[in-house]
Amino acid sequence: MNAADPIIQIQNINKYFGSFKALDDVSLDVTVGEKVVVLGPSGSGKSTLLRAINKLETISSGSIIVDGHDLYDPAEDINRIRMELGMVFQSFNLFRHKTVLENLTLAPIKLKKMSKEEADQLALRLLDKVGIRDRAEHYPLQLSGGQQQRVAIARALAMEPKIMLFDEPTSALDPEMIGEVLEVMVTLAHEGMTMVVVTHEMGFAREVADQVVFMDEGAIVEMAAPDIFFDNPKYDRTKLFLEQIL
Amino acid sequence: MSDLEKKIDIGDGAAIPDPKDRGLFSAWWIALIGTISLLVFLPMFKPDPYGKVLLFIPDGILITFEVTILSISLALVIGLVTGLGRISTNRFFNLTASLYVEVVRGIPLLVQLFYIYFALGRFVLVPDLVAAVIAMSFCYGAYMGEVFRAGIKSIDFGQTEASLSLGFNQRQTMTYVILPQAWRTILPPVGNEFIALLKDTSLVSILAVSDILRRGREYASESFNYFETYTMIALVYLLITLILSKLISNMEHRLSYYERR
Repeated sequence: MNAADPIIQIQNINKYFGSFKALDDVSLDVTVGEKVVVLGPSGSGKSTLLRAINKLETISSGSIIVDGHDLYDPAEDINRIRMELGMVFQSFNLFRHKTVLENLTLAPIKLKKMSKEEADQLALRLLDKVGIRDRAEHYPLQLSGGQQQRVAIARALAMEPKIMLFDEPTSALDPEMIGEVLEVMVTLAHEGMTMVVVTHEMGFAREVADQVVFMDEGAIVEMAAPDIFFDNPKYDRTKLFLEQIL
Repeated sequence: MSDLEKKIDIGDGAAIPDPKDRGLFSAWWIALIGTISLLVFLPMFKPDPYGKVLLFIPDGILITFEVTILSISLALVIGLVTGLGRISTNRFFNLTASLYVEVVRGIPLLVQLFYIYFALGRFVLVPDLVAAVIAMSFCYGAYMGEVFRAGIKSIDFGQTEASLSLGFNQRQTMTYVILPQAWRTILPPVGNEFIALLKDTSLVSILAVSDILRRGREYASESFNYFETYTMIALVYLLITLILSKLISNMEHRLSYYERR
């Protein structure tokens, strides 16, 4: 693979749920270190697109290549590819029966055969980074939503992925907790992480995005740098959407 | 059985006392104190035959426990495999498990017991106790399979997705993430099945297994004290199930550690 090649190559993918077309001929490239923010009304297919990147959704046609691995090549091990793709969910999905620390160390210990001491150290460093080290021994349900989401980000980072996928990470949060989660994401972006973020947070999109992708009815309508996207959108559908939310 | 709710504690085993349920809790105490009093005072005031019955059945209690514990252990293993089969996308595995559940649930336990006992007896000579355990666990494995299936399905699918997205495969996800949580959900119904199974072991007394009931019948047919004998037998079963239901209630409380805030 050439260094300049995109780390994510999505080519002409389609996805049907029964007769409903969730993704309509979508193509998207993401290069190393790039931050792509996907916007769109609900039901526009943006979450489906994100989930297709780590094959939580299977596509009906087209191709997705992540870090040189074709997701639909039977010879590829999807579990190995997923280790390179950290994912953060709207509903956190922390393992409820494990402490915060164990949530972070489970995958490195079992999948990377890391020693417990090494994994603990890594986990504590990451918890420090997301500002929640003092809760290492708590259970997820003992934390606030914002704290849980920061732990979820740290859990994904513990596998040292090359790419981070965020599926509406702040949508389930109380307004006063959105800031603390976005702050962690901004830090991550500044450190050079490759990120694909589905969100409704326009401020975040403006601040960190290299590319803003606007989707509607399963298709990509417009793709542009944030200043152009927000100040000079080309298409009426984009303008309408921006009017409705800004 | 449709999908069991998140927490199922209505079954044919016994009422498992919930620490929060004051009514049931006090009923449990009254039943326990009443049972113990009767078990102590009846033999005290009328040693013959009440005391004699009590002295006659202890080895039967051991047999009852032996059959129960061996059967429940086997039934848990069969139940886990069956439950996984019932949710499997592998058509063969799924169909086999479903067929097993359908067949077993449609035949009365006593008929199964006779059938397995005598069918087995035609081909291999197995000790009565072994035949009884095989029959009991074969039957309860099917019930347990449904409990496992419902328990696994009650865990939010987000847990599976989070696990997969970290790079775990399906089997690892089941082992590390889903089953440890499902165990908590299924403990009440498993406890219930355990108690139901203990009571149903009385059926094996019809085979030549010397459990509590069989020992009682032996005593009664010698002494003709049917009423006194079966009074004591009933009290002994009741005492055992009362104690077990309390133990299960405590265990359930301990397993809910991560839900406490």
